[in-house]
Amino acid sequence: MSDNSLNIILNGTIVKGYPGETILELARRNGIVIPTLCNDDRLEPFTSCYVCVVEVEGMRGHQPACSTKLAEGMKIITDNEGIRKSRKMALELMLSNHYADCLGPCKQTCPAGVDVQGYISLIEKGMYTDAVALIKETNPLPAICGRVCVRPCERECRRNFLDEGAPVGIDYLKRYASDHDLESPDKFVPAVKKSTGKKIAVIGAGPGGLSVGHFMQIEGHQVDIYEAAPKSGGWLRYGIPEYRLPNDILDKEVKNITDLGVNIFYNKKFGENLSYKEIRSKYDALVLTIGSQKGTGVGCTGDDAGNVYSGIDFLKNMEVTGQRYDFKGKTIAVVGGGNTAMDCCRTSIRCNAHKVYVIYRRTEKEMPANPIEIHESKLEGVEYMFLTLPKTINKNEKGDVESITCIKMELGEPDASGRRRPVPVEGSDFDLGVDYVLAAIGQKTDVNFIDDINTNAEGGALKINKWGDLDADKNTLQTGIPSVFAAGDGVTGPATIIEAIAQARIASVSAHQFVMGLPIRPAAKPFTSKRDNFKKQLAQDYLDKFEKQIREEMPTLPAEGRMNFSEVELGYKGADVAHHESQRCLECGCTAFFNCDLQKYSSEYNARQNYFEGEFREYQADFRHPYIEIDNNKCILCARCVRICREVVGANALGLINRGFDTYVAPAMGEALQDTHCESCGMCISTCPTGAITENVIFKPGPVKTKAVESICTYCSVGCAISLQTVNGFTFGVTGRKGLVNADGNICRYAKFGYNYLNDTSRITAPMLRVNGKFETINFEKAFGIIKEKISEVNPNDNAFFGGARLSNEEMYLIHKLARLAVKTNNVGSFHYLGRGESYRKNCEYNVPFSEIKDASLICFIGTEINRDHAVAGFMAQNAHFVKKIPQVMVTVKENNSLSHKVNQEIKIKSYYHFIKAMNHFILSKGLENGLFLRDRVEGFEEYKKQLLALDFHDLLKEAGIGADELGNFAKTYNNEMNAVILFSEKEISGAASKELFNLAMITGKLGKTASGLVAVREKNNSQGLFDMGVSPHYGIGGQELADAGYIARLKDKWKTELLATDETKCLHGIVQDGQVKNMFIFGEDPVGCAIDRSYVDSLFKPVEFLVVQDYFMTETASMADLVLPASLPAETGGSYTNAQKVIQQFQAEMKPKPGLTNLRQIAGLLAAFGHKVSSNPIDTFMEVVTLFPENNGNEKLRLCITLKDNHHRKYRYGCDAVMKRFEEEFERKITKP
Amino acid sequence: MMTTVTVGLGSCGIAAGANKTYEKIKALKEQENLPFELQKTSCIGMCYREPLVEITDDTGTYIYGDVTADRAVEVIEKHINQHDPIRDYIVYTDLFEAAENDFIQAQVKIVLRNCGYMDPESIADYEERNGYTAMKTIVMNKLSREEVIKTILDSGLRGRGGGGFPTGMKWKFANTNKSEQKYVICNADEGDPGAFMDRSVLEGDPHSILEGMIIAAYAIEATGGVIYCRAEYPLAIKRLNIALRQAHEKGYLGKDIFGIKGWDFDIYIKEGAGAFVCGEETALIASIEGERGMPRKRPPFPAASGLWKKPTNINNVETYANVPWIILNGAAAYAKYGTEKSKGTKVFALAGKIKRSGLVEVPMGMTIKDVIFKLGGGIKNNKRFKAVQLGGPSGGCIPEYLSDTIVDYDSVNATGAIMGSGGMVVMDETTCMVDVAKFFLDFTRKESCGKCTFCRMGTMRMLEILERITNGKGREGDIEKLEELAYQIKDNSLCGLGQTAPNPVLTTIRYFRDEYEAHIGHKKCPAKVCRPLLTYTVDEEKCTGCMVCLKNCPAKAITGERKKPHLINQDLCTKCGVCFTKCKFDSIILT
Repeated sequence: MSDNSLNIILNGTIVKGYPGETILELARRNGIVIPTLCNDDRLEPFTSCYVCVVEVEGMRGHQPACSTKLAEGMKIITDNEGIRKSRKMALELMLSNHYADCLGPCKQTCPAGVDVQGYISLIEKGMYTDAVALIKETNPLPAICGRVCVRPCERECRRNFLDEGAPVGIDYLKRYASDHDLESPDKFVPAVKKSTGKKIAVIGAGPGGLSVGHFMQIEGHQVDIYEAAPKSGGWLRYGIPEYRLPNDILDKEVKNITDLGVNIFYNKKFGENLSYKEIRSKYDALVLTIGSQKGTGVGCTGDDAGNVYSGIDFLKNMEVTGQRYDFKGKTIAVVGGGNTAMDCCRTSIRCNAHKVYVIYRRTEKEMPANPIEIHESKLEGVEYMFLTLPKTINKNEKGDVESITCIKMELGEPDASGRRRPVPVEGSDFDLGVDYVLAAIGQKTDVNFIDDINTNAEGGALKINKWGDLDADKNTLQTGIPSVFAAGDGVTGPATIIEAIAQARIASVSAHQFVMGLPIRPAAKPFTSKRDNFKKQLAQDYLDKFEKQIREEMPTLPAEGRMNFSEVELGYKGADVAHHESQRCLECGCTAFFNCDLQKYSSEYNARQNYFEGEFREYQADFRHPYIEIDNNKCILCARCVRICREVVGANALGLINRGFDTYVAPAMGEALQDTHCESCGMCISTCPTGAITENVIFKPGPVKTKAVESICTYCSVGCAISLQTVNGFTFGVTGRKGLVNADGNICRYAKFGYNYLNDTSRITAPMLRVNGKFETINFEKAFGIIKEKISEVNPNDNAFFGGARLSNEEMYLIHKLARLAVKTNNVGSFHYLGRGESYRKNCEYNVPFSEIKDASLICFIGTEINRDHAVAGFMAQNAHFVKKIPQVMVTVKENNSLSHKVNQEIKIKSYYHFIKAMNHFILSKGLENGLFLRDRVEGFEEYKKQLLALDFHDLLKEAGIGADELGNFAKTYNNEMNAVILFSEKEISGAASKELFNLAMITGKLGKTASGLVAVREKNNSQGLFDMGVSPHYGIGGQELADAGYIARLKDKWKTELLATDETKCLHGIVQDGQVKNMFIFGEDPVGCAIDRSYVDSLFKPVEFLVVQDYFMTETASMADLVLPASLPAETGGSYTNAQKVIQQFQAEMKPKPGLTNLRQIAGLLAAFGHKVSSNPIDTFMEVVTLFPENNGNEKLRLCITLKDNHHRKYRYGCDAVMKRFEEEFERKITKP
Repeated sequence: MMTTVTVGLGSCGIAAGANKTYEKIKALKEQENLPFELQKTSCIGMCYREPLVEITDDTGTYIYGDVTADRAVEVIEKHINQHDPIRDYIVYTDLFEAAENDFIQAQVKIVLRNCGYMDPESIADYEERNGYTAMKTIVMNKLSREEVIKTILDSGLRGRGGGGFPTGMKWKFANTNKSEQKYVICNADEGDPGAFMDRSVLEGDPHSILEGMIIAAYAIEATGGVIYCRAEYPLAIKRLNIALRQAHEKGYLGKDIFGIKGWDFDIYIKEGAGAFVCGEETALIASIEGERGMPRKRPPFPAASGLWKKPTNINNVETYANVPWIILNGAAAYAKYGTEKSKGTKVFALAGKIKRSGLVEVPMGMTIKDVIFKLGGGIKNNKRFKAVQLGGPSGGCIPEYLSDTIVDYDSVNATGAIMGSGGMVVMDETTCMVDVAKFFLDFTRKESCGKCTFCRMGTMRMLEILERITNGKGREGDIEKLEELAYQIKDNSLCGLGQTAPNPVLTTIRYFRDEYEAHIGHKKCPAKVCRPLLTYTVDEEKCTGCMVCLKNCPAKAITGERKKPHLINQDLCTKCGVCFTKCKFDSIILT
């Protein structure tokens, strides 16, 4: 290697490079990150995004790192100002035509940035506690906010644009989820980090202070909150009346916070009975969340009259004293138009007032109060006097209010706030007789502790700004005293709860940084692409694009039943209502938000979306394909999708249309993707660096941050490593993982889209017994008892056990152990291979590893539509075909073959078996065989040759359906290629034909050589395991014959038993066909549902007296069962699969088993019922298997195998697996839907 | 000797009506059984005087210009029947001073040596003019590949497609890279607006290109050849096809060509679909391979990995046309012309505000001023020469004060322009340089293949800035933003299209920044081209109140009474200029 290595100077350091290596590869190898959008390691370099540019000494301009190959002595700089400038501009140019939203307007608008779209997605799935967990990342008071938030999110919700005219009930949904969580035994409790030993004091237990408590405590600090009032909540308790926010809800949310370890000390008035001196000495930092507490008067002459109160004092007094005002027969005037005015008027009604007026100087349209409040207050009988201003409050002799002299107003020019300024109408004065006046005009911040704090402060001073509020840095909320932070109304003046919470989070981050000795920096603002940066979003942009869906309104108390303080809003009635409302979310935010490279780099390089203004293209997203959606608005034209579809998949289903600025990606010929050669593998999705090509899911996709559960695909036998993207057991999607077999992380449509069954709520989760024709849920103990009893009633060989090819090795092993050890029968097998398995037994021997397909010089597909059935192996062949131009030949009996368009040559025949035999005949009769290979490696040649050549060549050709010339040419081509590889699948190729294929490979001397020979694939993920785990009446572990006494002795020793099943083994197929099985146990197979000939399969089941089926769902076979056992999923169980090339891959149990017991524990339970204690741990089980494996015999000779006739006996589709069937049927249904 | 009458039937001639002229003469000849031989030829370069008819008789050769079918009758009658050449119509002869004599005489014709002098559809004509002799000489003298390459190297021939890379070097690389298959490609995807020299050679002398390619194939051991010709050149394709058939018949293409056993070589034509970027060699190769015409990163260069990833030599039409001449006349004869680093001749296509628009072939080293004034006859309508755009949309503007620049690769590059394929668009004082930059950028913007971010998006954004400047909406900082974008696009593009697209903007900013500033700062177009920046007013002194302008104004923006000065309402005026052209008293002032 060192001979041809290159000396490169990378950022001033001498490093070794290799010929053919690109700068990007070199940099990565040396741990240097170069951003790139158009590069994908799976693809040939393309160079279009120009984000990866670097400088190379002596080369003009910048060089794209992804495609610039190393040369001796190259001097490369990967980062400097010029490079960063170019990268930034590349991003800005792309962003200038990226008409898309990173985030929905709801999240963007929320002052606290609560991930609305994310939690709605979780609520849709009934995952309320997860929704609350997500909300609490930014808002610790969801049940409170779910009731009283002013909902800026809903104002911006784009549902407003649609004809139903109402936003998504975001707040109602939040309330539903949080109420559910509050009552849940498994309610969300945030993780509290390890103690930092730091102490934080907070003044005020209102929404801001409580939030600071939450945010800081979970960071590991000790938070003590000091509250002046006797109870917590601040304005939540003392300002908001109970009919809107019941105190018990408040108490529960406060308790959630104190449960984290936060202390609240009551009746502590800062500056009075609590001095800053004390705080300073005890705490590392102080956060002031003091609120804005002082009410303001009406502000007209006579407002010092008796029975004139500030609204907030009125509300607070009631809460403090616990006494309600008695307004019976009284007339109340509330002055103001905000939410406090609403609280005052609606409370007055509830205090039995005779008449309640709201006096407001502008019109209803200008009222800042929440429209729902206005609406409800009217229902309750409040009367409004708009465009009215109190001029004088007239007193009676006692000095109490008697009446108000008001003047009518009219609207003039707009003022600074944009609202039209009311001006008095001369001579319109009138008197209004009232008994009480409640002034809900405004509030002021009370800062009477200022002297105390400044006297005792060391360094710096707390200042008051010109509005009388606390002065703090607007980005960090640090005050003039470095250790003191301030948040909420005390800083902003009276504002909303959600703003107080938002500020609390900022102050918490800053205070955390302060106490930890970190530089105080506001959280970096990530780049956010916005459609509004291009044009203001209008109704016409959304109308007619979504189905109409009427909002689920909030049920309320009837107006006549409201003369009390019971909560008016009752909450959604049930999960269905919440689910239905969640469906209204339009998913405005990008589903790729958490893994978008464009967003990531744009944040990193501070790219601006509107640095370049100008034309942009607006596209209709293409939803025609049932699994793949294309949104060209988000496309940056890296062409990765186009290229992967061509270079790896070979489908060429996507192309670039038009030129220059007008270029876009579209399916070939403008068809719907499914009408092209698209294979629906989703590889385009896997490579898209933005959200332009995404999965078209059947649920609300979030996006939410998911946890990757590593697993192995359970469909075909290639054995791809996958990651289930999950949140608390719900799978949001599947991605490929770089595995032993799929080293590129490629996966196909089965893995990518075939996961919906994992989320299906109709899973069987408990054993079910058929009683009088109906299934009843029973417990496992009872189930095991019944099974044991049934087995005991019959002879051992009246029982038969079947294990499906989707099961893990460990499950198979325990099933075979159950049969042979506990039940003492060798009747164990699989329907999948029933009657045909033995001729497939050797199919995996001497296979060319998938990874060597690329080194072949000729690739032949015999029968297999590998692109569909084993697509990831197909990708390897296709990629070799594309990159190295390796020719491909297809031999098929099908008229229409989905692989035809990819291969160089297609040979149409009638019979694979006869075709292969004819090939062998041709080679031997022409004397073209590889004599040396045959002499040294193979036995039985003469015998085979004699037998074969005795056949008439022309009869073979006729049966094969091919002409002599075509066959001869192909045979010669194949024979002459040094590295010819044949790929075939058990789906099409019979056992006899596969044996003849091995004969072909032997007589041409191709077997067992590098990149030469055979690749046999099996139908199911663990078809191979059936052979290896002894799921056969004749063979034990590793294919050891039961007739082998040595093996039996080892087995007895291992299993510590003297008694095993009798040595006699029978053909299981025959036994089943002859109706000799009385008790049948089927694990993970659906022979009835997958039957090719249903009446034949039905006949097999007729004689069965007792049928047990273990599966995920009520399959057709399960629904015939007498007892159904619930199957656990692989990710719930753990274990290993053996792929078609004998690669054993293990996976862990990472999810809780829904049925309670895993499959292994269930089988172990059955074994235990027979008195055999076995481990149900997959690792222990596997280790036990390993000790039983046969010893390697080494240089055994190959043997040519004579076959007399074809034996195509496939009886079941879908590998006899209900899951495979389910997905294939779903796929066909969706893809062919008109 | 037999009198011959030859009609120029290049695209330019046909466009000017030469087919009709030919048919007319043919009819006359047949009707009256006139004693001359009627022949066809192609463009001689004097496109501005087409249709051209050449008559050669005992006394000498005469070229008649502007010979429409009607004038043809007159010419035949006088010249053939009455032996009385019409001096006024003769544009070139060596017998006396004719109008365009200096146009022909100042040129050195190597590339265009046969154009206009023979029937392009006749291999015999070509062979008569020493055609295929170069290749035959190689065979006869048993010149080795290396010797052929050395001759080309020594001649100093550089790629005429615009890049100016030494042709001999390219051949050498392609020869050094061993492979069982190799290709030669002729790039005939001439796409620069205003350039048509390749077409002229393809139409006028197709065999010289075939011979050039065969020699290149010999030199690099190529097994196949492709001419990538734009489909918009139907006549060129037709004549190439004829030439290919003839060459086959003669054994110059096909099996065992030129009698060399085992030397099989053939040439195919691939028609391009009109994408400018396919003139870029890697995009061109992608297009031949049936892919979307998009460039890819070099290296590897085609000489190492080209068509079907095999070593490939790719030259343009003009380059190949030089090759047989060089082999025949020797490297020294070629190197005699030109400057130290730019040898031989260069064909230019003169266009724009120039008197004689057409093709000229001049030795390298001539000044731009001489090309424009001596050969081109100077500026039309006696306007002031302002600048010349050299190198098409990839090139740049050279201002009048730099017109002493000589034509060689390095001198032109120093001005910020490029030699390119040889398009020369001449501009006078009525040309707005911002508008010119906008024109060329609009071209490259449309022709960008869309692959690289900077080219796809950057040219669009630059164009938008230029559009707003010419619309009177230019802003402070626009020039700087244009420059910022321009340099970034140049630095961060994969192929020549992107790397050179900003050149017209950069050179116009460099030499005519004041014009940009006038547009932005004063909202004025000094050349009075950009409509939204024009103001039409009435000179009250001169206005007679005739009401002509008022009646003709389509926007009804002019008011006034008879015999009283009129007034133009600026809010209504659409700046169409009708009043300006209609006014007989020069009383409309344009500012």
